[in-house]
Amino acid sequence: MLASASASASFLPRPKPKPHLLKRLASALTPPSPLSPSTGADPDPDQDPTPLFLRPPAHPVPAPSLAAFRRRAAALVPPSAPHLHRHLRWLLADAAHDPDADPALLRAPLGDLEALWLRHVRDRRPFQYVVGNEHWRDLVVAVREGVLIPRPETEAVVEMVGRVEGFEAGWWTDLGTGSGAIAVAVARMLGPEGKVFATDVSEVAIEVARLNVQRYGMQDKVQIRHGSWFEPLEDLKGKFMGVISNPPYIPTDDLPGLQPEVGWHEPKLALDGGKDGLDHLLHLCEGLSSVLKPGGFFVFETNGNKQSEFLVDFLSTKWDSSFHDVEAVLDFADIKRFVTGYRR
Amino acid sequence: MARALLRIARCYSPLSSPTPRLPPPLHRRASPPLRFLSVSLSSPSPAESAASSDGPSDVRKGEDGRSGWDDHLAMSDDELMGQCEMGTFKASGPGGQHRNKRESAVRLRHRPTGIIAQAVEDRSQHKNRASALSRLRTLIALKVRKPINLEEYTPPVELLQILPLKSTIRGKDAGPQIGPNNSKFAPGMQALLDLLFAVEGSVSEAAKILGLSTGAVSRLILSDDSLRIAANELRAAKGLKPLK
Ligand SMILES: C[S@@+](CC[C@H](N)C(=O)[O-])C[C@H]1O[C@@H](n2cnc3c(N)ncnc32)[C@H](O)[C@@H]1O
Repeated sequence: MLASASASASFLPRPKPKPHLLKRLASALTPPSPLSPSTGADPDPDQDPTPLFLRPPAHPVPAPSLAAFRRRAAALVPPSAPHLHRHLRWLLADAAHDPDADPALLRAPLGDLEALWLRHVRDRRPFQYVVGNEHWRDLVVAVREGVLIPRPETEAVVEMVGRVEGFEAGWWTDLGTGSGAIAVAVARMLGPEGKVFATDVSEVAIEVARLNVQRYGMQDKVQIRHGSWFEPLEDLKGKFMGVISNPPYIPTDDLPGLQPEVGWHEPKLALDGGKDGLDHLLHLCEGLSSVLKPGGFFVFETNGNKQSEFLVDFLSTKWDSSFHDVEAVLDFADIKRFVTGYRR
Repeated sequence: MARALLRIARCYSPLSSPTPRLPPPLHRRASPPLRFLSVSLSSPSPAESAASSDGPSDVRKGEDGRSGWDDHLAMSDDELMGQCEMGTFKASGPGGQHRNKRESAVRLRHRPTGIIAQAVEDRSQHKNRASALSRLRTLIALKVRKPINLEEYTPPVELLQILPLKSTIRGKDAGPQIGPNNSKFAPGMQALLDLLFAVEGSVSEAAKILGLSTGAVSRLILSDDSLRIAANELRAAKGLKPLK
């Protein structure tokens, strides 16, 4: 199911970027240099690259054996983590065609399932990597090691796009698309003329995004391009109705303190935003006006209040001649999570 | 639906206009003139209860102290969501990229009525939000009573749609009978309870108005657990025995 073979064509090295056209703020900014892909990823050497939930249910297991597994697995759940019982239920829902059938048809041998569960409970490997998906909005997004698991906060970005007048017919770009969650969700709302150009510098992300685009039949609407931020869009300057990005924004110093599921297992490339976490966000601000059409919309996700306030201030003072209605937007936890605005 | 969740933060930005841009006003259906009461206050407790159960919750006048009847069930999901607070996620740390948490429970508090609805069972917060919202609609239908002037009363179409076909007042254009699993059942249920409230809990009185036998109305009430419970609470308040 993974389109790895066909995807590799896009991994051909791209020509080195021309010096950035917008140098206005060059002194204040250090454009981030792309790190090597899949830093911090935690791949299983013998792991089937097809996400568990998409593999064929080819392993019959008698109901009593599955019940025994359920008991053993539940016994591993520490009292401090009752939510893991829910994960066990979900694991079985994803790993079996019908967990209550006898025999149940599993998508992996029972022994593998046991090993997967152990890695989740003991090694804190994210549940989403175990089953190979995250339920995000109304989508089931395929994920695997090397690609960021889409966050619930980010769901709101799609809503914001949907509020832009005439969005259906526009061309959009999702920079740092990761799993492609945003790109697919936006593409599904677009009309026949609408398009999404999704970029990422990580090859794993490109592969996974391609899989998700294909799973939702969005190949005609989403074009995936490999490269750093705006570089793959040189031919599309000034064409976009909107720029969407959830770039890495965590300050480097905060990385060691992250929750193990995140810090140990998710790619550093998707999280590390440099010293203040603003490296990529500032780089994106810098390139915005060259890719957006006049009147075009942008939305960035940020680390929260301080970053958003800084960016709003930054864009509406220094760049007042380029943008209007720049504002911070709250997430569901009342944190100023997003910065949105329009190009003049 | 979730778009109503996006509220614009007021950010100080020296060069933008001093008044923050607010989300567009909600478009509400104009209230029919006869609907005048806000909500019945079934609990006297003024304290904000932290209870987040799915079960019946206190119905109080919202803090905006709105008078005048709002037809909440006629609102779109977006509009209704705009009247809700999502409380679960406060103080949940920095969030965003920092965090892996599949806890996707959603708890909605409907400001005008104080009704709380939540959903926890789905893996996607998006879906939990949708089911919490549909639960909220049911709870509003069950708990928010509006008085009816029986002299001028004609059953609204929402009510006609949930009646069995043999009702003599139903008419062809009401379409097939809508059952409890349909999202349009909630407004019909609300109208039925309003009527039952107006006739002081008497099923036979309601049946006469609805062109049905008493047995048929009882069966309709008993066809849905929450409707039965609400009807029986209402009857108990009038000293009538429960329908079984
Ligand atoms: C926080 S993740 C967001 C992924 C996805 N958009 C989402 O919201 O779930 C950031 C993404 O930016 C990508 N990225 C990091 N540096 C990049 C660069 N220089 N150019 C393009 N993408 C980059 C990472 O590979 C990662 O997929």
